Amino acid sequence: MVLPDFRFHQPATLQDALNLLGQHPDAAAMAGGTDLLVEMKKGLCRHHDIISLAKIPELKRITENTDNLFIGACSTHSEVMASRLVREHAPALVKATSKIGSEQIRNTGTIGGNICTAASCCDTAPILLAMNASVEIACDEKIRIVPLRDFFTFNKKTILEKRDLVTRIIVPKPVSGTGACYEKFGLREAGSISVVSVAASIRIQDAVITDALIVIGAVAPTPKISGQAIEILKGRNVREFMEGSPLLEEAGNGAVRDSIPIDDIRGGAQFRRDVLKVLTKRAIRSAIA
Amino acid sequence: MKQLITITVNADEYEVAVKPTTTLLDLLREELKLTGTKKGCELGDCGACTVILDGKAVNSCLVLAVEAAGKRVETIEGLAKGVELHPIQRAFVEKGAIQCGYCTPGMIMRTKSIFDKNPNPTKQEIQAELSGNLCRCTGYTKIIEAVETARDYLNGVKPPELEFMPQKSAIDLSVVGRRLPKIDAPDKATGRALYTDDISLPNMIYGKLLLSPVPHARIVSIDTSKAKAFPGVKVVLTGADVPDVRWGTSPPRYDETILAKDKVRFVGDVVAAVAAIDEETCYRALDLIQVEYEELPAVFDPMEAMKEGAPRLFDDKYEHNINTHVDHHFGDIEKGFAQADYIREQRFVGNRTYQNPMEPHCSIAEWDRHGRVTLYTSTQVVHYVHHQLSHILGLPLGGIRVIMTNCGGGFGAKAATNTIEVVSIFLSRIAGCPVKMRFSREEMYLFGRGRHKQYIDLKIGVKKDGTITAVKQKAVLEGGAYSSFGIVSTYYAGSMLTTLYKFPNYKYDGFRVNTNLPPCGAFRGHGCPHPRFAFESLLTMIADDIGMDSIDIRLKNAMTPEYHTCNDLEIHSCEFTACLEEVRKKSGWDEKKGKLPRGRGIGIGCGGFVSGAGYPIYRSKFPHSNATIKVMEDGTRAILFIGDADIGQGSDTVLSMAACEAMGISYDRISVVSADSDLTPIGFGAYSSRVTLMGGNACKMAGEEVKNQILLQAAGIMKVDAEKLEAKDNRVFVKEDPSTFIPWEEAGFAFFSRNGPLLGKGHYSPPEGLGGKYKGAAVGTSPAYSFSATVCEVEVDMETGKVKVLNFWDAHDCGTAVNPMLVEGQAEGAVLMGMSEVLFENEVFDTKGKMINPDLHNYLIATSADMPEIQSTIVESYEPHGPYGAKEVGEGATLPILGAIANAVADAIGTRVFELPITPQRVLEAIQKSNQC
Repeated sequence: MVLPDFRFHQPATLQDALNLLGQHPDAAAMAGGTDLLVEMKKGLCRHHDIISLAKIPELKRITENTDNLFIGACSTHSEVMASRLVREHAPALVKATSKIGSEQIRNTGTIGGNICTAASCCDTAPILLAMNASVEIACDEKIRIVPLRDFFTFNKKTILEKRDLVTRIIVPKPVSGTGACYEKFGLREAGSISVVSVAASIRIQDAVITDALIVIGAVAPTPKISGQAIEILKGRNVREFMEGSPLLEEAGNGAVRDSIPIDDIRGGAQFRRDVLKVLTKRAIRSAIA
Repeated sequence: MKQLITITVNADEYEVAVKPTTTLLDLLREELKLTGTKKGCELGDCGACTVILDGKAVNSCLVLAVEAAGKRVETIEGLAKGVELHPIQRAFVEKGAIQCGYCTPGMIMRTKSIFDKNPNPTKQEIQAELSGNLCRCTGYTKIIEAVETARDYLNGVKPPELEFMPQKSAIDLSVVGRRLPKIDAPDKATGRALYTDDISLPNMIYGKLLLSPVPHARIVSIDTSKAKAFPGVKVVLTGADVPDVRWGTSPPRYDETILAKDKVRFVGDVVAAVAAIDEETCYRALDLIQVEYEELPAVFDPMEAMKEGAPRLFDDKYEHNINTHVDHHFGDIEKGFAQADYIREQRFVGNRTYQNPMEPHCSIAEWDRHGRVTLYTSTQVVHYVHHQLSHILGLPLGGIRVIMTNCGGGFGAKAATNTIEVVSIFLSRIAGCPVKMRFSREEMYLFGRGRHKQYIDLKIGVKKDGTITAVKQKAVLEGGAYSSFGIVSTYYAGSMLTTLYKFPNYKYDGFRVNTNLPPCGAFRGHGCPHPRFAFESLLTMIADDIGMDSIDIRLKNAMTPEYHTCNDLEIHSCEFTACLEEVRKKSGWDEKKGKLPRGRGIGIGCGGFVSGAGYPIYRSKFPHSNATIKVMEDGTRAILFIGDADIGQGSDTVLSMAACEAMGISYDRISVVSADSDLTPIGFGAYSSRVTLMGGNACKMAGEEVKNQILLQAAGIMKVDAEKLEAKDNRVFVKEDPSTFIPWEEAGFAFFSRNGPLLGKGHYSPPEGLGGKYKGAAVGTSPAYSFSATVCEVEVDMETGKVKVLNFWDAHDCGTAVNPMLVEGQAEGAVLMGMSEVLFENEVFDTKGKMINPDLHNYLIATSADMPEIQSTIVESYEPHGPYGAKEVGEGATLPILGAIANAVADAIGTRVFELPITPQRVLEAIQKSNQC
């Protein structure tokens, strides 16, 4: 097994990286490489130029302002998990990140890479979507911010154009009364791809659900916000979502109606629906707990 | 273009030019020759290549060398201080955490990185943290124990001491029966142990294979001209360039060609081969070979393949694609079923699984200028490779030398000759220089030889009291494209049902069917695990139906010593009842069975296996195992030369222990040379769980020959009759007065001074005439049989179908455990592997016969995080045919696992899954179906 030939670039600044992307339309930007190198070794993709982002300090910074966390796209999963800021403001993201691969993969792979690979089963996107995250995208001299919900277009497809580079993930700090969680169903205890995943973020004020986001993963071409599950939650009293309650069932069914799962080696479509319903209920219960 | 980088590895700074495409792993192994870091999957799934990069554990296969520039790398080579092992290494050695050793360097480096971050991890944390490092041998139990021990060493805490009582049969022995660290463990813990891929010879080039992309086709033409012209290419071979010989594993079924002659029969069939200056050039050249295929209809399902008009894989043989048919009838099943008060019949379906040893196959061939070829290879059976090469090359055994290096696990995947062993020899002969070939993980799956998927129809009749009156089994084995071990697998699937329970009437119909998929072969338990899964499941179903306890029905029918089975197998020692009683007690069976809440279940499964096949795979009069011992001239050490192969299971250790016991010397006074056809006498190697009994007997005999000469020599020195002397613990002493002694080495020294070399030789052949007279009677025969029972407890998520295995309590009758620590290692490894097969594993193919999951990312095997609590017991037993009473445990321990889990899951969910693997989806569907009823 060998890597196909490529030219290697290791820019030290973001601007250099963007310039290189501009000069080499066929180039791939590489963050941790845990997906890209695997695909290249397997012969699934080929790039004449690889632009490493590893030496660009600003892509690894994790900062905050009053309302948001800014996670540099090239922060490794381990760095995200170890970050005091992330632990304080987004513990559910820490939990979701801990479900990715192995420690070795988490020490190499990055949050930006995970998002840009855009696998429907990826572990960070659902919780980031549930937390209303956005991505900061740089292109030439310009920077734009796109809500993550508008970022994914299909399995392994995003809105990114050739010269685009994701620079930061912007995660709003949860407002008070918000609970978030991530539920993953994999076929073994560790290092397995999600068969189904659900992220929930629910805001409760005076026992009433005032805001909610339910995101379902690995059951559609992209991680997907379940409008129908959210509809059932909003404006209701949390007591209506006790274990076994009809509304909790309904919310689970809502998520299932929003899913378009496929059959693959990890599970059939109907099985995914069944598990999706269970995970949705568990995620809601855990987010409101 | 190469780029000059500076990198610090351990204490040393290197300046080295690397290509952008070079991974850190290849930089370490190929450029810096630090081969302690292993290559297991190349895709970040197995962790064998784990190193610490700037303080963090990474898979070095997924780091570009250019990106490691300026960084600090810690590898296994940097851990020990001179001869002093690092506490982690010491703990791994002492606790038996190392078997094949291929995962060990990565596992140890990962452990170090855990401690760097958290000096005091709990057992649960360790299990979770190590989950990125796969091990296929140990079942992780002893690894976790070693990490806990290392943690204690590093924290200055005294680790808990193990209470150990030797078995009764070992009480008077000095070496056999003791918990001793493996003889090869320190080398494996330090990265010093050489595996084939760690060797690079001067002037060596590389070879690669072109594999068929289509499942069934006639080869119309092959154009290799562009490949041959490509710079750096030395040799290109196709079927037209190699001798037209058929080869394989079992002589009646030699049906493979060296390279495809006119037809390809599965996606992965070998079409052509290239040798070039490096692997990269090989791959480029392979892309330039143009093959025109005329596609033929293909068949992937054995039931379809047997139908009239189905596409035929071989035009001249195997009618209806039936590669092997077995038709056995013992006693009278009609009479037997007529005597039954209750009969139940059920269809069970197995899964197509792959052994996945952590080390990919690798071989290096080199011809000398006298027309003799040397092959270094990672194999389980040097002699079968040797014999097969002799057949293919038309050379006598003397024209070929086969050297087994350290072998990173086999489990049957390396039990017979493989393509790269053969092809590297042809490439090397033409190139005139050594050629190394290695499989990628994907190529391992495509070469195949994993477990046959079996479709089993089983019918059992019992009397009211549970006595089995008759058994009828039909098994269809999906065989893949070629025969491999398949003929034997088909016989084993039937013959081994009779060794656990007594029943007089038995009918077996076995069919092995060719399909356009990778060939199946021998995988731990060879042919038996699926029938055993079916039998153990059905026996529990019947017990439930007739209101009998599952252990009671087994006790009712349990095998007893000195029994002649209905298919003419001779059982000698048998402590099966003791195994059943032990697990009943240990598991708290009587308190739990039928009393656990829904979603929690307990189940029993049993198993057993041959202690070595009674007959070899080809007709041969050679003794099955042979040993020679050379005592050093000063008498201070003995060197054991043994043909049998240590593939991680610990045979070098066990055989050394038997030899030491026989000679009367201690374990620190022996060294082993094994599995080198020039140096060691023939051994039939590591398959059919044969080495402890057969190799052990040969080593014991060789040791006794040495001892007899030592006693004679000592008699002269001590002026005492030799009959009155005994040798033990490095002393030769008067039996009636042990205080009168001379050192063993004094007698050895004197012997050499007077007589020249002090040598011992031993050999072992199974008793003559084993088995019945019917066709196929040889398969299943053995000098001795093992027995085991296991109780498993599971928790099932009733909403998602996910199974969590909580506990295993297992008991083994392996005769005298030569080394109880290694026996536990085999049992724990078998539990995890069996569990992994039952819950996770299955090869999946698309509609064109292409494997969808040929990696360790989509073909999941169990990690340390999946590990249940395992409590293994070795029961008191003594096998008269075994060395010091020993028999097998390695394969037999796998057999109870499948049924035990299936029964526990059934107990938990109140219904049953009849097809493997028992996936969450199948469990959930079974629950849903039973809820509808």
